[in-house]
Amino acid sequence: MFTIKNLTYRYPTNKTDTLNGLNFKIQPGEILGLLGPSGVGKSTTQNILIKLLDDYRGEITYRDRPLNDYGSEYYQEIGVGFERPVHFGKLTADENLKFFKKLYTTTADTDQLLKRLGLYQDRHKKVGEYSRGMKVRLNFVRALLNKPEMLFLDEPTAGLDPKNSRIIKDMIQEFKDRGGTILLTTHLMNDVEELCDRVAFMVEGRIVEINTPKNLKLAHGQRKLQVEYSNQDSTSLKEFGLENLGQNQEFLELINNKKIITMHTQEMTMDNIFIEVTGVKDHV
Amino acid sequence: MYNFRTLLAGELQRMLKYHILTASVLVAFFWIGALHLLETGDISYFFSLIVFFDVVSMSIVMVGVTIFFEKQEGVLQSIFVSPISKDEFIFAKTTGNLLQNLITILIVYFYTLLFQNININLAGLLGAILLIGLFHSLVGFLIIYYCRDFTELLVNMAAYFLIFTIPIILEFMGVLGTLATNLLYLLPTKASAVLMEGVIGQAQTRELMLSVFYLIIGSLILGYFVRRKFKIFAARESGV
Ligand SMILES: Nc1ncnc2c1ncn2[C@@H]1O[C@H](COP(=O)(O)OP(=O)(O)OP(=O)(O)O)[C@@H](O)[C@H]1O
Ligand SMILES: [Mg+2]
Repeated sequence: MFTIKNLTYRYPTNKTDTLNGLNFKIQPGEILGLLGPSGVGKSTTQNILIKLLDDYRGEITYRDRPLNDYGSEYYQEIGVGFERPVHFGKLTADENLKFFKKLYTTTADTDQLLKRLGLYQDRHKKVGEYSRGMKVRLNFVRALLNKPEMLFLDEPTAGLDPKNSRIIKDMIQEFKDRGGTILLTTHLMNDVEELCDRVAFMVEGRIVEINTPKNLKLAHGQRKLQVEYSNQDSTSLKEFGLENLGQNQEFLELINNKKIITMHTQEMTMDNIFIEVTGVKDHV
Repeated sequence: MYNFRTLLAGELQRMLKYHILTASVLVAFFWIGALHLLETGDISYFFSLIVFFDVVSMSIVMVGVTIFFEKQEGVLQSIFVSPISKDEFIFAKTTGNLLQNLITILIVYFYTLLFQNININLAGLLGAILLIGLFHSLVGFLIIYYCRDFTELLVNMAAYFLIFTIPIILEFMGVLGTLATNLLYLLPTKASAVLMEGVIGQAQTRELMLSVFYLIIGSLILGYFVRRKFKIFAARESGV
């Protein structure tokens, strides 16, 4: 879908580059997670890809054509989910959606989307009177209202209760199942693990690692089994490598002769991988 | 230009919902009250002054304030990722603004027709509102481009009024010398004032033509910058 080569960007007001030569691709039909510490340039990258920022250096192609060749028709096929509210406060949700829908040639059934997200009953309420979570959900409807093929989502579930967060995640998955492509920016590692086909980590304006969550875990995980067992009156803890565990005499002896209390494989969590890859240390 | 209609309809809808129309009507009644107290014979001249002040100030204020609120509500971001062109956006806003100017002025005008003695050229009045409103709407765009917060917006709008309208008032009071009076012709507000004098038949043709020319060329130049700087503005407002 997108090929990004040596993307470098500096805000006109800044002295240093925010992006320092980004290289990555977004494959059609995938959900690519863009992760990285706060302030690293994720939103900047997204804003370049949605053509709000130009004057970048490097090459970006969308469907094999330079991004700069596209005019406003580009927006017919992309959807953008913003993190902060983006609606007229004194208009109702319904009025807002009707206004924006008229700007597009193809539109989604927004009533259906509102129903799914539990906003249908409140569609005639002014958006200014919406709660924070309701605004977040409405932003998601806004992102989908033109039936986009490519979706940019910035923290789509931030501040939502588990139920609504579940609904949005399901809808993201369904969007992908229908052939849609997504660039997902988030700090929620659960969402990443659940949704992303691939994850790109950004550090200092560069992509330092890009891979599937599974491969990341294989590469970074220690793959160990931790066994807790009772040893006379106390409990003891022992770790075994998962490699050839069935031939490990010490392990076999232990499970045959001791009372096992718990057994856990020590997988690397996305949280830990994030910290390891991005090298986030304490702020000084 | 297909989306121009939608954007303009949106401007008009918000004029109602954000009570801008109510404000315009209230302002019209304020002017009517002022005219009512005057009790002179022919109020054409005072009417032209009202049009001048109303159109110059409201054009700038309305563009500045509506864009400011759109910025604050985050809707600009949403609009900027829609399939519209910057020209459609700028045109829709300006047209909405001109309509708002027209509503106020026409209410005042109908009052004067019914209850006062007035003698103006209606076609001229409409043309003058169009030119003065267009020019100053574009000024409004440029001011909001360079303002980061509401205070700055207010200060810059006030600065424009002071710098560009006080000399006109001074001239009106007869305290300016010949040189200063001639220098006034450099000001867009002077051109606007001359246009209004034309509407009540008190301007020389040459002076009037020059003022029309000034505002048309001026609008073209401002329009050029409003279009050019739009992208930078949009990028900044898309900020995080
Ligand atoms: N409009 C702007 N003008 C100047 N600098 C900016 C602007 N927007 C962002 N920056 C700077 O660019 C850098 C990257 O910001 P960006 O918003 O892309 O980070 P992010 O990765 O999205 O962070 P977060 O996870 O907190 O959203 C920051 O140092 C920020 O200060
Ligand atoms: Mg961000």
